[in-house]
Amino acid sequence: MIVLVGLNHRTAPLAVRERLFAGCQEEVNLLGDLRAIDGVREVLHLYTCNRVELVASVDKAPVIMDALKSFLARYGGLTDNEAASCLYGYRDEEAIKHLFRVTSSLDSLVVGEAQILGQVKDAYRQALALNATGIALNRLMHRAFRTAKRVRTETGIAANPVSVSFAAVELAKKIFGTLSGKKTLIIGAGEMAELTCTHLIGNGAEEITVANRSLAQAELLAEKYSGKAVGLDDLDEALCDVDIVISSTGAPSYIVTEDMVRHCLRKRKNRLLFLVDIAVPRDIDPAADDIENVYLYNIDNLQDIVDENIKNRRRESIKAEGIVQEEVAQYASWLKELEAVPTIVSLRSRVEGIVRMEMAKAENWMSQLESEDREKVDALVNGIVNKILHAPMAVMKEESAEFHSQDIVAAARQLFRLDD
Amino acid sequence: MTSLEITLFVLALTGCTLATVGYLLSLLVKKIVLAKASTWILAAGFVFLTLNLLLAAVHSSGWENFGSRHFLSIYAWAIAGIYLGLQFKTKTRLLGTFIAPLILLFLIAAAGQGSDKNLVPIQWQGWLTTVHLVLAIAGEALFVLASAAGAMFMIQNNLLKNKKPGKMGRLLPSLSDLDRINHLGLLWGFPLLTLGMIGGTIYAAFVWGGLWPADPKVIWSFAVWIVYGFLLHQRLAIGWKGARMAVLSCVAFLLFLLSALFIRFCVATVHNFI
Repeated sequence: MIVLVGLNHRTAPLAVRERLFAGCQEEVNLLGDLRAIDGVREVLHLYTCNRVELVASVDKAPVIMDALKSFLARYGGLTDNEAASCLYGYRDEEAIKHLFRVTSSLDSLVVGEAQILGQVKDAYRQALALNATGIALNRLMHRAFRTAKRVRTETGIAANPVSVSFAAVELAKKIFGTLSGKKTLIIGAGEMAELTCTHLIGNGAEEITVANRSLAQAELLAEKYSGKAVGLDDLDEALCDVDIVISSTGAPSYIVTEDMVRHCLRKRKNRLLFLVDIAVPRDIDPAADDIENVYLYNIDNLQDIVDENIKNRRRESIKAEGIVQEEVAQYASWLKELEAVPTIVSLRSRVEGIVRMEMAKAENWMSQLESEDREKVDALVNGIVNKILHAPMAVMKEESAEFHSQDIVAAARQLFRLDD
Repeated sequence: MTSLEITLFVLALTGCTLATVGYLLSLLVKKIVLAKASTWILAAGFVFLTLNLLLAAVHSSGWENFGSRHFLSIYAWAIAGIYLGLQFKTKTRLLGTFIAPLILLFLIAAAGQGSDKNLVPIQWQGWLTTVHLVLAIAGEALFVLASAAGAMFMIQNNLLKNKKPGKMGRLLPSLSDLDRINHLGLLWGFPLLTLGMIGGTIYAAFVWGGLWPADPKVIWSFAVWIVYGFLLHQRLAIGWKGARMAVLSCVAFLLFLLSALFIRFCVATVHNFI
């Protein structure tokens, strides 16, 4: 049985998540402690800033779920009230579904973000290194990664940027095609401008120029990008040379006027110019947008694009839920087969099939036997088969009564090729 | 026409039809993958058409005896070849949405022509006529491409200017790539058309003895040549780029199209081949 216990950004306030996160990080032998809990066969733990979750393959689900919950409560120093309101527990298909949704980033704060898959992979790697996982969880995790991959490729859930800075980069690509060799000018120094600039460089943009009221500050930032610094007085000239402008000063009036843009465009022989104005109040005269070959986006324009993309992601997540459902059903049916009874049944029918086939092959000479002798041969064959099958079937039954059958059942399925 | 030639032509036509459908579907469902696949299918069609034309040259009386089918096929072949060639340089797969239907139209028109029908009257056939035709066709094909890129530029420009790029904007090629194709189309199309016209002029001057300017097609072509020359001049010397070039290329193309139709249906000219 698979169980999942944990808390996330929806159920627990930041303060609780912090405490638990810190507790998990400090503890060296968390997995060891978890495995020491009676009835826990396989286990792994995932902790990110938004969630802490334990996934385990266990024998007696209800009892162990409570044990795991109080384990987490102890590590996070949660009060009984907090534990009751923050911690959730799922079992069987619910647990599998939750894990698949988390891995596919359907449960994330920003739906479709890419980090969570890496974090889950890390968690699995850790557990694997300590031998804390076994047949059930190994398969479960591989299925989770597969589901995440399918969701990524088959739906548009992660297709479009949902942050203003990435939206600006995407627009730049739609204007210039490739960003390699493109020159960027940053006017002023805001966090958002820097972030956008970093993304632009990550996508191939080169040669950063920084313009600021104070040249010293401009130089400081320019050094970071190994670019050059100019004062605001030289803005005219800088505009002629660059392709992308990101402006975010605190100036009360327009820093870049329509005339400046018009003038520089003539000088730059009408090469396309992308202006991003993320300042409030605005830095760039909106009239500049009326000029041919100039594309001016302000913070609201970018936010509109982001909002639209977020809406699209929600729409795509419906498709993704369908994929998750499919994968959950597949895994659950595989897990059921790991139980002893169906395996015993299929082992029997497999062997009986072999007997039938071999008897049919021998039909030629057996037909010459007296009917009495034939019955004796049949009895002999069945006797041998039953004797051979008796021991493995008995062991499987015994083990399943003790809730330890999974490994041995899996071994039997493999030895007798029952899954072929 | 051998059966192999017919098979190759049918394969080319099929490839082009599939590519056209693929491109249009790609625009409809907004998936770039379809356009990419269509580009490969179009490339396959192009190879078949190339083989078809080569066989035709070997089997029939060679390049000097143009059938009307081949004339139209070469139009389709030139447009497809130039479009595919440019795909190596720029990633503008979606441009095929405009180009592939055009190629298909030429191929369908070609299919409707008897292969034995002579394009050029026997007494005019000669290598100079062939050079004149091929160069003029190549030049015109490049202009077609430049204008198609211009048209797509206008759409993308509109989306970006209105701050609503959306799915469509994401699908269409970038402005720079489209502008580059427009540039290359004009840059190569103009000299080719010029050479083609010079070829025709020399031929006319020798064979007909100075009769050439009286033909309406010649006068119209000259006008088109001047318009494209003007566009290229503005681009290279004055530095016009982007939106303005896109609009002007489309206008020039419409002019070109109208003149071609007008001459085909309303005026008597020695250039009425089809």
